[in-house]
Formats: sequence, C-alpha cells, structure tokens
Amino acid sequence: YVLFKPVKSTFSRLASLVKELIEMLALSRTQKLPQPGEDTQVLELLVQRDKEFQELMQTAVEQGRIHQEMQQLEKEAEKRDSDIQLLQKQLKEAEHILATAVYQAKEKLKSIEKARKGSISSEEIIKYAHRISASNAVCAPLNWVPGDPRRPYPTDLEMRSGMLGHMSNLPTNGVNGHLPGDALAAGRLPDVLTPQYPWQSSDVSMGMLPPHHGNDFGLEPPGHNKENEDDVEAMSTDSSSSSSDSD
Amino acid sequence: MASTVPVLEEAEDFSFLPLIHDIIKCMDKENQDVHQELNRLRVRIQEAREQISAMPGIDASPAVQQQRLHMLRDQVRTKNQLLHKYKGLCMFDIQKLS
Repeated sequence: YVLFKPVKSTFSRLASLVKELIEMLALSRTQKLPQPGEDTQVLELLVQRDKEFQELMQTAVEQGRIHQEMQQLEKEAEKRDSDIQLLQKQLKEAEHILATAVYQAKEKLKSIEKARKGSISSEEIIKYAHRISASNAVCAPLNWVPGDPRRPYPTDLEMRSGMLGHMSNLPTNGVNGHLPGDALAAGRLPDVLTPQYPWQSSDVSMGMLPPHHGNDFGLEPPGHNKENEDDVEAMSTDSSSSSSDSD
Repeated sequence: MASTVPVLEEAEDFSFLPLIHDIIKCMDKENQDVHQELNRLRVRIQEAREQISAMPGIDASPAVQQQRLHMLRDQVRTKNQLLHKYKGLCMFDIQKLS
C-alpha cells in the first residue's frame, strides 16, 4: 500500500466525474436526461470523491512534511557517521602511539635492569681511566710539540735501556770485542741489518758505552744531529697523525 | 462570476467543488464566461495531476513512513549518545613527571 496510487486513482475518478457531470449539465440544457435523478447522483458521487480526495491530499501533505524531517535526520546521521569515523581514526592513532611508547619504555626498563646487574663503581672506572691516560697513550701531552721524542709506546731507546737491553750488554769477550749475539746491542750489525735509527749509525761510540750510559741514547753525535732530527720529524709526523687519528 | 481558485500547493483545500459550482452557475445563467471557467478547471486538474506526481514521501504508506521516521530518530539519538560518551571518556590523567 502506497499513498501515491490511491491519491492518483482517486484524483482520476474525480476528474472523470467532473467531466461526466459537466457533459450531463451541458446535455440537460439541450435535451432531457434519460434518467431524471442521474445528475443528482453524479453530483453526490462527485462530492463524495472530492471529500475522499481532500483527505488523501491532507495525508499526502503530512507525509511530505515527514519526508522532509526524515531527510534532515538522514543528513544528521551521515554527519554523525563521519564524526564517529574521525574519532575512530584518532583512537587508532593514539593506540599506535601508546603501543610504541609502551614498547620503548619496556625496552628501556630492560636496559636499566641489565645495567643495574652489571654495575661498576664509578671510582673504579675513574681510576682505570686515569691509569690508561696517565701514560699519555690516548692523547698527546698538552705540551707535546713536533720534535718531542716522547711516544705513547715504548721507544727503541726505552727498550734498550730496559732489562732486556741491559741483559744484552754482557762482558765484551767475543770476537772483535763483541759477542755475535751482541751485534744488535752493540750497534754493529751486518749489512743486511743496517740500523734504521740515527743513534745506531755511529756504532763504535755506541758499542763502547758502558751500560749505565745507555740512557744517554737521546744524545746523538754532533755530526748526526740533523739526520736524527729529520727522522724524529718524520716519526713525529707519523705519530702526530696517528695520535690525531686516535683523538 | 469567478470565485477565487485556491492554489493546490499552498492552501489546504484541494476541493474542486467551488470551481464546479461556478461552472454550474455560469451554465444556469447561460453566461459566456462558462468557457473560461471550464478552461480554468481543465488547467487546475492538469496542475493537480502534475503536483501529485511530484509529491515527495508518498511512495510508502503512512505506517511504513512512521516506522522509518522512528528508526532514523533512534539512529541519530544513539549516535549522538555514542559520540558524547567517547568524547567525554576518561582521558589520560597526565601528572607531572616525578
């Protein structure tokens, strides 16, 4: 049942009755009606149909108003739907952010716990750091300049002046005044093992030095000062570049 | 004489009787305006037919329409309540970091 059909059909019947009545009235002017009360009957029927039509039209108008209200409600429902979708999207974003934050916080807590288990006294770490840096192994001394013979590793001189070096300086009863094993310590080396350092070039003076003068290896013969300085410069350059790299 | 013809879409009186009455009166008086009145009736009927076809909301019965209306109202009310509830939901109580 829809209203449209009754309204339309009632209207059609009404229109037909109107037409019929008018034709009847027109005919009645010119000739007698076959049935005397026919026009009255048609008129009564017309009145009845008109009344029905009016009622149906009132209902149709009311339905039109309701239809408008329904359209507004539908628009409002659509707007609410979009609001809900927006809220849902925001909630999802918040959930994602929170999940990430919680995960990172848990990881941090794990790291904290791990660090706590392997905790070391800060004093020990500072002492150790001090010990490492005391020998200038990690950084050149503040007053170090190119030419400074100091190195962050034991130099050849320091090695020679140590126990190992002194152990080699035994009594000179060997061939030519030197034992074969003393060739290195004495500074006299075969041609194959030509000394690389300037203080070993004057092997005679080096070999004759008593052990306690080994620490004077820093004092080169006057004739070789320049060569020594060049070598030290070269080493300094290398060392400084390496130390700067270590920085 | 012509009576005022109510416009279908504005007045609440959709009756054709006044117009028919005028026509009958003209016929009785054998007035020459009868053709004019008949023409007006014809136009009125045609307009009514067009307006009926264009009337919104009469594709369903009044009962079905009422049902749909109640459903839409409930829908909108529920969605409003939902939105109000979620927007006023307990948000995170952000306290100062200790």
